[in-house]
Amino acid sequence: MTDDVMRFFAAWMLTHEAADEGLKAAVLRGESGGPEGMGGGPDAFVDGLAAMVAEEKERLKRALEARARGEEPAAERDSDPALEEIRFEVAELRGRLDSIESLLETLVRKIG
Amino acid sequence: MASRGSTVLRVLAKHLLAEVPAARFGLAPGRVRRAAWARGTRRAFEELGPAFVKLGQLISVRPDEFSDELVAEMRSMQDSVPPIPASAIRAVIAAEFAAEPEELFATFEDTPLASASIAQVHRATLSESYRPVWGEVLPPGADVVVKVVRPGAAESIRADIAVARRLAARLAGTGLARRFDPVALLDESAVTVERELDLRQEGRFADRFRFDFRDDPRVVVPRIVWPRSTARMLTMEYMRGWRLTELEAARAEGVDCRGLAVHGATAFMRQVFVHGRYHADLHPANLFVTPDDTIAYLDFGIVGHLTPEERMNITQVMAALVYRDADRALTYSAKLGVHVPPDRIEAVRRGLGKLLDGTTRRDGTRDFALFGLGFLKLLGRHGVRIPSGYGLLIKSLATVEGVARALYPEIDIVATAQPFTTRILGQAMGDPARLRERMPAAVRAALRELVA
Repeated sequence: MTDDVMRFFAAWMLTHEAADEGLKAAVLRGESGGPEGMGGGPDAFVDGLAAMVAEEKERLKRALEARARGEEPAAERDSDPALEEIRFEVAELRGRLDSIESLLETLVRKIG
Repeated sequence: MASRGSTVLRVLAKHLLAEVPAARFGLAPGRVRRAAWARGTRRAFEELGPAFVKLGQLISVRPDEFSDELVAEMRSMQDSVPPIPASAIRAVIAAEFAAEPEELFATFEDTPLASASIAQVHRATLSESYRPVWGEVLPPGADVVVKVVRPGAAESIRADIAVARRLAARLAGTGLARRFDPVALLDESAVTVERELDLRQEGRFADRFRFDFRDDPRVVVPRIVWPRSTARMLTMEYMRGWRLTELEAARAEGVDCRGLAVHGATAFMRQVFVHGRYHADLHPANLFVTPDDTIAYLDFGIVGHLTPEERMNITQVMAALVYRDADRALTYSAKLGVHVPPDRIEAVRRGLGKLLDGTTRRDGTRDFALFGLGFLKLLGRHGVRIPSGYGLLIKSLATVEGVARALYPEIDIVATAQPFTTRILGQAMGDPARLRERMPAAVRAALRELVA
């Protein structure tokens, strides 16, 4: 079970692709969205969401096909966002230290 | 301070009196009269300098409290002033670093690139390489710009705010300003200006923005040179490109302006809905299109921050606009501090419904500025107080729409928000707390369907 809800629904949609006419109709309504295509209100949101899950389903299908061909899906090559965040925070700290070091040099110049 | 108070009153009187003929000595129709007074006020604010320019910028996001004419005038306010001599800028640099610019940089140009009420910008080149917080190393000789706070700017702004605050307190006491609280407005202005006066904050946000968009090669942000930066001086990478006022030249060079408009609008949605921090001072001077088909963001002096909860509620409000759902807009606006009195809810809901349905242009695209500012006015008419962050975000979105439409007139800014809002709200369905709250009702509904 993935913690990505969209991915979960996409997987569900993929396994029910041929079954649900109501869902297909919602996807079509969602795809033709915009002021002309949607009636508005909460139902319009559900249609929009269904269209987006359908897009995710297509991506999932492509990823599964790629994996079947022995390719590594792009998403799995991405680096860990938490690790990236730590890298940024360390780099930001380095920037602050650069600034402080420069300030110390200024003080030395002023005193000297 | 008393003499500055007299100056403020004299400058205001001078510009308002200059508009008396345009207002036909007060006998012109209301709209013409209000436009004349608004023009006079704007010109007075421009002459009075940075504190008043910032106050004008705050007024420009409050259509709920000020007339349309004043809001429009304040939106067109120019923050551009004659440059001060290079010697004064050199003196600031010497005070900050105890060194001449030539000791800090390989070259330094005395002729400024730009001059605004708070700071002046000069071009220079690095004497040694620098590894920035994020991105490639800047080599020796790299072109940079040096932004320096004008000498005395901080002191005069603070003094002006104190004077204006005293006048505002008097104005509040007269009962003439019934629709707004002038003292609160000035206090808000003071906070914004204080943030802008410390250039390190701007530099830190530029670094953060660069990191947030590290996976997007079409969004660029100048790298900050921290050893050459202090609270009163910020050194950053020089960006080449065309301002939005020079688009014809950009188009002639083959820049894909339409593609950049869509990308820029999407990037703004990402700032708000994904990162919860956004550039809140976008205008044609702060945005470049570059020869490499990228968008360069400059000047992070005013930044909007959203907590995760605010971000989610704003996403809901935007989804309400995307899917034309007035009830959703009101429910989540309330969570953002927009409290409509119970006896006004129905009237506001009806007005909002009309706005949601009536802000579509002839070409079928939606007009966010018309909706956003219309919504603020609607709330103002019903006496609903609007939190400043809410007004700032709506103004920022309206500005992004204006900027994007300069590049691509048929763009639908609301449509660019649709994938973000839909996905984020879809993802939110997996939140354990939400599941615990909603699952019993969902199971009941499913059972009803199954046994029907």
